[in-house]
Amino acid sequence: MANDNSHDKPSSIGRRRAIQALSATGMLSALPGWFNFANAQTPSKRLTIRIGADISILDPARIFQIENQSVAANVYNGLVKYDQATNEIVPDLAESWDISDDAKVYTFKLRKGVQWHKGHGAFTSDDVKFSYDRVLNPDTGSAHRGQVAGIIDSVETPDESTVRFVLSGTNAEFLHKVTAFNHGWIVSRKAVTEMGDKYNLNPIGTGPFVFEQWISGSEVRLSANPDYFEGAPKTAELLFRLIRDETAAAIALERKEIDIFFAMQQPEVIERLRKTAGVTVLDREASSTVNLVINTTLKPFDDIRVRRAIAHAINRPALVKGFFRDTKYEARTVLTGAFPEYSEDVPDYPYDPELAMSLLKEAGVKNLRFEITTPGLNPYDKFVVPVANDLNQVGIQATIRVLERGAYQQARSAGNVQSCITSVVGPPDPSAPLVTLYARQSFPPGLNSARYEGVEDLLQSVSGELDADKRRAIYAEIQRKTMEDLPVLPLYADRLFMAHTDAVHGLVQNSMFTVQGYSVSAQGA
Amino acid sequence: MIRSFLSSMIRLVVTVVGVVTVTFFLMRAIPGDPALYMLGDYATADAVASLQAKLGLDRPILHQYGLFLKQTLTGDLGSSVVTGQPALDEIVSNLPWSISLAVLGMAIAIVIGVPLGITSARYQGTWLDRAVMVTALLGISFPVFWIGLVAILGFSHWAGLFPTLGAGNGEFWNELYHLILPATVLGISVAAYIARLTRSAMLEVLGQDYVRVARAMGISEGRIFYKLALRNALVPILAVISVTFAWSLGNAILIEVVFSRPGLGSTIMKAVLSRDYQLVQAGLLVLATAVVTINTLFNFLYGIIDPRLQKR
Repeated sequence: MANDNSHDKPSSIGRRRAIQALSATGMLSALPGWFNFANAQTPSKRLTIRIGADISILDPARIFQIENQSVAANVYNGLVKYDQATNEIVPDLAESWDISDDAKVYTFKLRKGVQWHKGHGAFTSDDVKFSYDRVLNPDTGSAHRGQVAGIIDSVETPDESTVRFVLSGTNAEFLHKVTAFNHGWIVSRKAVTEMGDKYNLNPIGTGPFVFEQWISGSEVRLSANPDYFEGAPKTAELLFRLIRDETAAAIALERKEIDIFFAMQQPEVIERLRKTAGVTVLDREASSTVNLVINTTLKPFDDIRVRRAIAHAINRPALVKGFFRDTKYEARTVLTGAFPEYSEDVPDYPYDPELAMSLLKEAGVKNLRFEITTPGLNPYDKFVVPVANDLNQVGIQATIRVLERGAYQQARSAGNVQSCITSVVGPPDPSAPLVTLYARQSFPPGLNSARYEGVEDLLQSVSGELDADKRRAIYAEIQRKTMEDLPVLPLYADRLFMAHTDAVHGLVQNSMFTVQGYSVSAQGA
Repeated sequence: MIRSFLSSMIRLVVTVVGVVTVTFFLMRAIPGDPALYMLGDYATADAVASLQAKLGLDRPILHQYGLFLKQTLTGDLGSSVVTGQPALDEIVSNLPWSISLAVLGMAIAIVIGVPLGITSARYQGTWLDRAVMVTALLGISFPVFWIGLVAILGFSHWAGLFPTLGAGNGEFWNELYHLILPATVLGISVAAYIARLTRSAMLEVLGQDYVRVARAMGISEGRIFYKLALRNALVPILAVISVTFAWSLGNAILIEVVFSRPGLGSTIMKAVLSRDYQLVQAGLLVLATAVVTINTLFNFLYGIIDPRLQKR
C-alpha cells in the first residue's frame, strides 16, 4: 500500500500504450516497420557479428552473460584492461598507476580529454568514484558487489585526473578487480543519474563504439566513436545480430550475411566451418572449466574415498576426445592453462574402473545412488550421459536430472543437490574461479554447492602476499589441496571458437569470451 | 447487433483476465526466479534477498497479484524485471513482425489449402485426392521447424534465392523479401491442415439430403458443387481458418527462432526462460487479445455469410 503513488502516476501513459497495442492488434494492416524508417545507410565497412541470445542488461553493475558483455566491451573502458592476446594488464582509462609498498593504496593517473559518448561531458575521477561506490552500495543490487566489497575501503579523488583506492588490507592482486570487465567498466555519473532505469539499455561509455539502437529479438547497432582516445576504429558500424540456431548461423556466415560467428559450440558446426573455403576458425583456451561439484556434507560423499572413486570411474580423456571431438581440453584443476598460476603439481585421477570399485569397497559403500543435476542447455544436458554411463560401469547407480535453466538455478541455490554440473566463466583473475568454487562466501546460493571450506585460510592469505613467487606458490598449494580433497572434479577445460570470413582482418580472440571490434577492419559489405 | 457486440466485449475481457491470471500464477509456480537468473553465478544470500525486495518479489503472492491487477486495469503492465524497460513497449515494438508473418502466412495457407481441399473433395477417391491428402498428411506430420531448416538449406543455401535470416533493413521490399520464405513455411504447415478440413467439410455437405434432391432434379454437378455445397461448407471452412490462425501464432514462435526473426513469439520465449514475469504477462495479454479479437471478427463474418447464424 505504501507504494500507491508510484503506481498511480504513470497510468495515463500506460493507458495510451494499451490503446496503441489494441489498435495495432485490431488493425492487421498496421506494419510500422515497413514505413517508419527509410534506412539509407551505406552498408560498407559494417561488421556483422552473430550473437546467440538477446541482450538484456548493459549496466556494468548488473551485467551478466557473454552477449551483454560483448556489447559492453565495445562501449566501455576500465581503468586498466587485459591485453586481448596475452592477458597482461595494460593501461586503459588510467595512463599509469602507483601501488603503495604495503599494497594497500592504489593511485591511478587518468587520461585527460576523454569525453563520454553523446555529449555527456568529460570523463573525470568523479565518474570512477561513482562507478565503484555504486557497485559497493547494497541498494544497487549489483551481482558483482562480492568482488570488491570488503576489499575496497574507500575511493578518493584528490583531483580530476587522479583516483585513489584505499583498501581494507594488503592486496597485491587488486589490479584484477579494476580491469575492463563487468563492474570494472566505468560509467558516467551524469548519464546514470539522469537516465535512471532507462540506462540499462542506453549505455554511455568512453569506448571505441557508441551504442545506437537495440531492436528486441533482432539486433544491436553500435557506431564508431571518431573521437576515441586511441584513435577512431577501422569499422564504421558494429551490428550484433541475434541468430539462435548454430546451423543457421553457419549458413549465414558461408553466405557472407554475417562476418563473425561468435560463440560457436557444436562440434559438427566447428568441423563444417573448418572445411569451408573463405572461412577462418579461431580457437583459444578459455579461462573457464566445466566441473562436477559434489556435495561434501551429504553421506556418503563426505568420504574422500567415494569422491575419488567417482573421479577414477569417469573417463575424462574419452569425454574430450570422443564426445567433444577434441573441441575441449582436459582439465587438471579448475584453473586452466590460460592462467599463469596454473599448476600441474596436483593429484591426478586417471581413468581406472578397477581402482574406483576397490575404493568404494574400502569405504563400505554398496548400491550407491548418485544424482547429477545439470542445466538443460547444450552441451551440459548431453555430455553427462557418457559420464553417468561410466559411473554405472563401476556399480554406482547414476541418474541425471536435467532441469530447465531457471529450475536448475533454483535447485542449485537451495544447496541440497547431491552433485551438479557447474561452469565458471570470468576474467583471467585467478582468485575469481577459486573463490567462486571453494570459498565459504560462495556457499549456496553461490556456486560452492560442495560446501567445501578446506582452503579458506589459503584464499585469505594469497591476496595479502606481496611476493609474486610466494603468491604463485600459494596458488599452487590451493590447487593441490583442492584436487586432493576433491570437492570439485574438473571435467574439461573450455575452449572458445569463433569463425570469420576472409573479409575480416585483425580479429584477436581473447580468453574472456567477448568479441572486440576495435582492431578489426571489414572489407566490402 | 449491439447486444452481440457487447457480449463479445464481455467475452474478450473475461478471456483476457483469465489468461493473465493463469499466466501470473503459472509463472510464479514454476521453479526459478528472476533474481537468481540475473545474479547467476555470483549470487549470495544477501544479494538475492535485496534484489527480490527491489523487484517486489518478497511480498505475499496474493498481494503481488492484487497490485498487478490494479496496475493492469489502469493500463500499466509494468516494467520488464530484467531490462527495466516498459514491458508493453517491448511487446508492441515486436508486434508488427509477428502480425506480418502471421497474416502473410495465413494468406498463403488459404490460397493453397482451400482450393486443394475443394479439388480433393471434387475428385474424391481418385489418385488426385489421394496424392493431395498424402501430401497434406506429410505437411501436418513434419514439424514446422524442420520444414524451416530444410527450406533454409534448399532455397537459401543451395539455390541462393532467399536470405537465411533476419527481417530486413526497414525498407518495404527488402522486408517482404525476408518475409517470403518464413511465411511460406508457415503457410504450408497450416495449408495442409486447412486442406484436410476443407475436404471433409465439403464431403459432409455433399452427403446432405438437399444435395441428393438437387441431383435428382438434374442440376449439373458443377452447379451443385460450387453453388450449393461450397457456399454451405464455407462456414466450417472459416471456422477452421479462425482456429488455425491462433494455431499459426504458435507455429510462428518456432519460425521466428529458425529464421532468426524478431517477433512476439521469440520475445515471450526469451521472457519465460529469464523468468521475466512482467514481459510474459504483457506478451500473453496482447496475444490473448489478438486471438479473441480474431475469433470475434470471424463470428461476425459467419453472420454475414449465413444469416441464420445471426439469430442464434
